[in-house]
Amino acid sequence: MWQAMDDQTRLFSFGREAYGMAAQAARACSVFLADEEDEWAADEERSCYNCRYRRWTQESFVCMASQVTDEI
Amino acid sequence: MEIYLSIDDTDNLESCGTGELASQISENIQQQGWGECSYITRHQLFIHPDIPYTSHNSSMCFHAQIEDSALGQVINYASDFLARVSAVGSDPGLCVALPAKLCCVPELIDFGQQAKRIVLTKAQAYELAVRSGVHLSQHGGTGQGVIGAIAGIGLRMGGEDGRLKGKIAFDTDPSDNGIAVTKVLDHPWVAAVQTEQGQLLQGDERICLVDKVKIVQVKKQPVLLVQRNEQGGWQNLTRQQLKKY
Repeated sequence: MWQAMDDQTRLFSFGREAYGMAAQAARACSVFLADEEDEWAADEERSCYNCRYRRWTQESFVCMASQVTDEI
Repeated sequence: MEIYLSIDDTDNLESCGTGELASQISENIQQQGWGECSYITRHQLFIHPDIPYTSHNSSMCFHAQIEDSALGQVINYASDFLARVSAVGSDPGLCVALPAKLCCVPELIDFGQQAKRIVLTKAQAYELAVRSGVHLSQHGGTGQGVIGAIAGIGLRMGGEDGRLKGKIAFDTDPSDNGIAVTKVLDHPWVAAVQTEQGQLLQGDERICLVDKVKIVQVKKQPVLLVQRNEQGGWQNLTRQQLKKY
């Protein structure tokens, strides 16, 4: 589901429209933190697409949680 | 006088977002008695490796009607506020435009549209600011946020971009979450209920509200977009369907 990046972050492998996978990843994540609601992109609240630690790229997003927590 | 105020690049991964800061500026303008502010719009800008941004690269803009004598106070307050409150590592920018005194509005709108498609520079942003007559200033970091700030003005004035910040709660029928269009139109932040193809719903028609209700800007108006549901009735578009706004 994830591709490890050189800077310890990780790239979501399924792009920007894989709502089921993004929700599944968020349910399995211990540090999920909902972003401000105006920035949500998925209908399902607990989704990596709605997480404060996601950083959108042109094709997908990078999970930046490792930059702010040791738990990931 | 009428103004537009736009800000960008004020946050980091752990701070509150740019939308929250725009809300606080808007609230303070009203609390100080400087004027009345309208809704805030969020404008998605280009996502590209050459553009530094925290997580989503969006700017926030609102319209206000202020006392002529308050313009300097509003700009000074917003500038000081951004410098003081913006997050560590952010690059905040502020743009304030007076529509009555603007030159080359089409260029401002075009700049906003370009900021959704290509990488623009601070030099381009400041050059346009001088030519068009807007106030543009940076308040920390690299000041890269000036690009999104002036783009936010262009996109808001263009009237075909952006989602309204916040959600609206309507008094729906609990049995089916239904509500008459006329009641939706009673809300000051909804000027029309229509399909993406432009079909306007009439006041006596009924719509079912699902998920959180988000309003978008279409033809310079705040609009609730609807579609036919499986039952043949009308319902609002979902958050996922509204991503492109």
